[in-house]
Amino acid sequence: MDFRAGDSWGIFAFLCAALWNLPAVPALNNTDEAGAGQSIQKTYDLTRYLEHQLRTLAGTYLNYLGPPFNEPDFNPPRMTRAEMVPSATVDFELWRSLNDNARLAANYRAYTHLLCYLRGMDGQVAKADLRKSLGHFCSSLQGLVVSIAGVMSSLGYPLPGSLGSTDPAWAHGPGPISPHNDFLKKMDDFWLLKELQTWLWRSAKDFNRLKKKVPPAAVTLRLEAQGF
Amino acid sequence: MQMANPVPSACCVVLAAVVVVYAQRHSQQDTRVQYERIGADVTMKCGAMDWDAAVTWTVNGSDIDESHLNGSYLVLRNVHLGHSGQYSCYEGSSWHLKYQTSLKVGTPPKEPVLMCRSNNYPKRFYCSWHLPSPTYIPNTFNISVIHGTREMVCEKEAVPKNRCHIRYLQLFSTVKYKVTLTVTNALGRNSTTITFDEFAIVKPDPPENVVAKPVPYSPRRLEVRWNNPSSWPDPESFPLKFFLRYRPLILDQWQHVELSDGTSHTITDAYAGKEYIIQVAAKDNDIGTWSDWSVAVHATPWTEEPKYLTTEAQAPETTTSSTSSFVPPPTTKICDQEKVVGSGAVAVSWAAGLVLAAAGVLFI
Repeated sequence: MDFRAGDSWGIFAFLCAALWNLPAVPALNNTDEAGAGQSIQKTYDLTRYLEHQLRTLAGTYLNYLGPPFNEPDFNPPRMTRAEMVPSATVDFELWRSLNDNARLAANYRAYTHLLCYLRGMDGQVAKADLRKSLGHFCSSLQGLVVSIAGVMSSLGYPLPGSLGSTDPAWAHGPGPISPHNDFLKKMDDFWLLKELQTWLWRSAKDFNRLKKKVPPAAVTLRLEAQGF
Repeated sequence: MQMANPVPSACCVVLAAVVVVYAQRHSQQDTRVQYERIGADVTMKCGAMDWDAAVTWTVNGSDIDESHLNGSYLVLRNVHLGHSGQYSCYEGSSWHLKYQTSLKVGTPPKEPVLMCRSNNYPKRFYCSWHLPSPTYIPNTFNISVIHGTREMVCEKEAVPKNRCHIRYLQLFSTVKYKVTLTVTNALGRNSTTITFDEFAIVKPDPPENVVAKPVPYSPRRLEVRWNNPSSWPDPESFPLKFFLRYRPLILDQWQHVELSDGTSHTITDAYAGKEYIIQVAAKDNDIGTWSDWSVAVHATPWTEEPKYLTTEAQAPETTTSSTSSFVPPPTTKICDQEKVVGSGAVAVSWAAGLVLAAAGVLFI
């Protein structure tokens, strides 16, 4: 996972653009059709920024967990408890055929839950500077959730139901954390970070598709909703 | 010598044929292939013959010196590749073939080199392998691809032989792929394993049909166009970004431009009149690594055509424009078309002429 100076510069630009626009994101919660394309672009930029931020954060956090979690080839099997974290993995044909509403809703649900788990993780970290980084990341992730919500409402889609509705098991939060099995808890953290990383990669591709469907100069969006 | 009588002669012929067939069949039972390591000591026994039997050994039809014999056993010490061949053992007097073997000298396989890559994400990825050094004997390769709990089938390709491909069934997987290649031959086996994330092996092919052209009336510009690699299946959903590098042939330092969309770019800082070499590389916008550089293209920015002058006094000037230097082309050719008012005024009218020409081009 290396990136060149060019990528750093680009990320820096996204950082500034994203942070500058974050306070304005709630204001996107309107039915301005022309704004949909731009907010999709902003959401895309946010996912790229977050993906970059996560690389640093995950590296530090896995070192904090210690071996084997910070070993590059560490490839453990998924355990049932870890399946509570929403997975980005999807059948290729299914992913391709998702309509815009479903695509956005999947992203929205995933990040809402990931944010919740991440906040749970935040509370237990012993190191202060790591807690601070986690806290900062959570704020940025919150910004992403709001941004996705903005896109959905500007396209006229309803936001998915809140936690505790008819969603699958993982919708009900992290569940009781066993204080006895430290290793299992670390495994959960490992999978959470992995799933978050994968979701950010997936979201870049999701929003690329959305960008094509909803160009900045958007036409009648009701038609779009019924089309693909 | 018996002669003339045909019946006994015919019997002899038939008998000889039977003996030959019998001997051949017998020898075929004893023909085998024997693999030995380079540097080993090899002892060959002459079939079921006793140690003290009188035999003759040959290799590829040539007799082997008795110094290599230990009784009826053939002893080859510290064998090397030159020892490979067909070894035969004949009973001393009757010259019956008693034993035959094809000796092949080689080595057990070293650890193979394995790599996997996806140049057509998200359709498939392929794995290819080779041995770092030859074994000189036949090898078989066996590849296994494990993704989480599932073993995937890697479909072998006819050409090239040491490659197979796997279709992505799921995208955005958090579980790594684990690929193991085992090489086996008669002298041993070896294997290697690599693990990777779905995203890490994405590397497109280089851009295709790179074309660079001068821009008329722009002495410092070059227009570069290219196509997405044809192997990339879905540039709409998985857009590529590009990296362009260029330099004049006479310099070693490249200049770089990264382009996040579009398949064309105009270089605006080319040195006038210099031939440039240009290459483009591609990468998925978000994941994986850069492709190799495309085939290099050459182009020279537009320069004004030297006008062949009629006046003798100015004829020599036209030859200076072909020297390799950073001096802009001489302007006397233009000046001679303007009215000669004074050097300063000449410069102004030259600039005015260029502006008018550019405006004229724009309106055409």
